[in-house]
Amino acid sequence: MSERMIRKAGAFEILNHWALALSFFVLALSGAGFLYHLEGVAALFGGPQGMRGIHNWAGVVFAVSLAGTVFNYLGVSLSFSYDDIDWLMKGGGYLSRKKINVPPQDKINTGQKLYYLGVLFAGGLISASGLAIWLLPGNRELVLASHFVHTLCYAALLFFIPIHIYLATLANPGTVRIMISGTVPLDWARKRHAKWVKKMGYE
Amino acid sequence: MARQALLVSPELCIGCRGCQTACKEWNHLSVQKTRNTGTFENPPDLSRTAYNRIRFIEMPTEGGPRWMFVSQRCMHCGDAPCMTICPSAGAIFRTKEGAVAFNRDKCIGCRLCSSACPFGLVRFDEKNRISKCHMCSDRIASGLSPACAKTCPTGALKFGDRNSMISLARTAGYNKLYGEEDLAGLSVLYAFKESPKVYGLKENPAMPETLVFWNEILKPLAYAGFGLAVGASLLHYLAIGPKREEEETRHE
Repeated sequence: MSERMIRKAGAFEILNHWALALSFFVLALSGAGFLYHLEGVAALFGGPQGMRGIHNWAGVVFAVSLAGTVFNYLGVSLSFSYDDIDWLMKGGGYLSRKKINVPPQDKINTGQKLYYLGVLFAGGLISASGLAIWLLPGNRELVLASHFVHTLCYAALLFFIPIHIYLATLANPGTVRIMISGTVPLDWARKRHAKWVKKMGYE
Repeated sequence: MARQALLVSPELCIGCRGCQTACKEWNHLSVQKTRNTGTFENPPDLSRTAYNRIRFIEMPTEGGPRWMFVSQRCMHCGDAPCMTICPSAGAIFRTKEGAVAFNRDKCIGCRLCSSACPFGLVRFDEKNRISKCHMCSDRIASGLSPACAKTCPTGALKFGDRNSMISLARTAGYNKLYGEEDLAGLSVLYAFKESPKVYGLKENPAMPETLVFWNEILKPLAYAGFGLAVGASLLHYLAIGPKREEEETRHE
């Protein structure tokens, strides 16, 4: 392969994303164990007490790595232009296999921007409410509100994250390498992230 | 087994605290050092070693002070918020007699039950595990009365079939008992002569609203949403399929 590879994600972005992803997986599974009283899942974590400890500390990893994503995605996610509206009108070209000319995209596309803002919001709330349940057990009103918000955000994340994983793996083969080697072929990047390629000065 | 209940009649209570002692004895609960704060009330609150206690209320009236003794413990709600919120399977459970009992080995010490309890009656042991009245579930399973009711010398605490406890109170002239209907009925019924507020209890105790919504909507929503996301992805994969780079290039 003589394709020219360019770096899309650095070591920090890759490791941080994996910390976020793996902690989410542990949290979602143990969370389901708590929410639906799945004793088999609790056994997997060494019993209900073990599951609580792992859930709480995985939550800390999740919150810290979520905060880390701010350095990678927040700036770009907050910059919207007409191209973003156009992208949304065309559904990002995701829904069909046909080639659809979508407007040039930045380092992440419009859908990814909105997804990121949603994850940051729901992830921030689920972290804060989880910490409140864990650390402020005497505060009745706060704990009940946090318990409610915690499950609400859980439902939101449990819906959007599988779609994110599907789009990044099976639906778009080749995308997941951003989270492995961090590099992508220049041609691939030109098609999907033209604005970013231009910004970075690749010819 | 028909639901069992305790009938508490404050008017009959003489404040002897035999119920407190009997409870400690049967449940092997240690004594607790307390301070005299100038009231008959001792201990000052329920605790991990005090599953029940007598609340002492002194009310000024025209004919001099009026004393009221109100026996307090877990209410054993028919629709128990602590059980609804508990994230650990089997940590709080209902016995066939209708008592809300617990299994410390399964308790994870999160204390959510204490926030959910409409009466604020849940306490925890030194390992942060639930420690409260279980209506002497071991005794009542063998057909005995709870220790507190067994020892009560005046009949202020009576135990038996819940319906017969209600009829008993009716015969004694109480048309409505506290805990008859709320929260699917409590298993601790109070024969109050006046408004519950006089005795320091909420007028209409209920499951916290957020907990009702959480239980009935959010819980099913979370797995339905997950199923929908996975299902839609699968459907997209089968019906439309992946967007391969090579194909795209070839078609250009």
